[in-house]
Amino acid sequence: MDGQTHSGDDSSPIPREITRAGEHDIRILWKSGHESIYPARYLRLKCPCAVCVDEWTGREVLRPQAVTEDVAPSSLELVGRYGMRVRWTDGHSDGIYTFKLLRELCPCCQTS
Amino acid sequence: MPETDKLKIDIVDALKSIKDPDLGRDIVSLGFVKDVKFCGGVAAVTIELTTPACPVKDQMREEARQAILALDGVDEANVEMTARVRSSSSESTGLLPGVKNVIPVASGKGGVGKSTVSANLAVALAQSGAQVGLMDADVYGPSIPTLLGLSEKPVSGPNQQMIPVIQYDLKIISMGFFLPEDKAVIWRGPMLDKMITQFLGGVQWGELDYLIIDLPPGTGDIQLSLCQKVPLTGAVIVSTPQDVALNVAQKAIAMFNQLNTPILGIVENMSHYRCSHCGQRDDIFGTGGARQVSESRELPFLGEIPLSTNIRVHSDQGKPVVLAEPESEQAKAFLRIAENTAAQISIRNMAGDLEQDIKVSF
Repeated sequence: MDGQTHSGDDSSPIPREITRAGEHDIRILWKSGHESIYPARYLRLKCPCAVCVDEWTGREVLRPQAVTEDVAPSSLELVGRYGMRVRWTDGHSDGIYTFKLLRELCPCCQTS
Repeated sequence: MPETDKLKIDIVDALKSIKDPDLGRDIVSLGFVKDVKFCGGVAAVTIELTTPACPVKDQMREEARQAILALDGVDEANVEMTARVRSSSSESTGLLPGVKNVIPVASGKGGVGKSTVSANLAVALAQSGAQVGLMDADVYGPSIPTLLGLSEKPVSGPNQQMIPVIQYDLKIISMGFFLPEDKAVIWRGPMLDKMITQFLGGVQWGELDYLIIDLPPGTGDIQLSLCQKVPLTGAVIVSTPQDVALNVAQKAIAMFNQLNTPILGIVENMSHYRCSHCGQRDDIFGTGGARQVSESRELPFLGEIPLSTNIRVHSDQGKPVVLAEPESEQAKAFLRIAENTAAQISIRNMAGDLEQDIKVSF
């Protein structure tokens, strides 16, 4: 095969399953076998849309205190082949979370 | 075990020696062998390929025939070749429920012949027996109606869906159907996004093996909307051989990579010119540049199309060269590209590592 098959290696991670975890959280099982659990509010605060993150500087515009503690995903859909969109209970749904971003955001892989 | 049943097993065993050259595996383990029958010395099998546009169909038929005839007790072998195009998407809902493969034809630069390649690719696939649709998503310069000689307009069907225009066994939709020639589309992003949604979900495409999408040049709103709204099977990149086009084509490749859309391969258009008077070849834009890019990017090279007057003449007359002059060098070049594209689609779909297999339960 040529080098362009996106089989889920580290440079282009692909989920195998996206489901709910617990009451509010989101679970992604990656093709690599790794499992990521994203707490709802953590993922909401990482929304990459132009309203939440300055498009040019990358500065986070969204203030954590503006997001309620009980924010949760109300629905979720795939975007093409490269990401997903979450509709949050606070009415926000602009951000497209690319699979690459989601893999980077995996809470258990954060070093700090 | 009855003798006929044993022979059926022998027939299947014999067919294991035949490989699909694109998929690199034998046709038995690929599940292509169907309906093995044996009666009174006569063997009959059906081989179901993954595309009717298979370049080695006849060769495989003959190999299979010879393999079966070599068995003791077989006097006659009938091999039927059929095809069932596999889908790149396991989801049967969404905007395009009956469409198995969506293939955008893209370039970075304008004027490299995307629409001509799209039209000939679509017609060639349809000629092979596949069910094919062609969406002209180039709202700024819709050329498909001219290239296919269309003047009629699509009508509205039930459920407010548009019924595509049928020409040369293709289902066709174009912005050109809805605009007088002296009017232009001057739209901002959200309108373009709406148009793409309308052309995907608002059209009665029905069951299609391949939906070819002729994109406008560049990496803008239409390309992005398309990549977001439907899972694409893979893009065909068209470029001319000169650096100025190839450099921009690589931008298109980068865009599809970023959006995780596979690239099926690169087509080199206007590859060279052969003088119609003296027959001398002239590499007007250089030659082989697209092949080099495909090699350096590890992408399949789908083929090259010469720059020639007959392609232009038939295009302007509304009958693509693959139909107007099927025996010409140019038509054969397009047919090879269609076969190579179909082969790349089969390879990807049989590999089964496509992202549509993402299970979402939410």
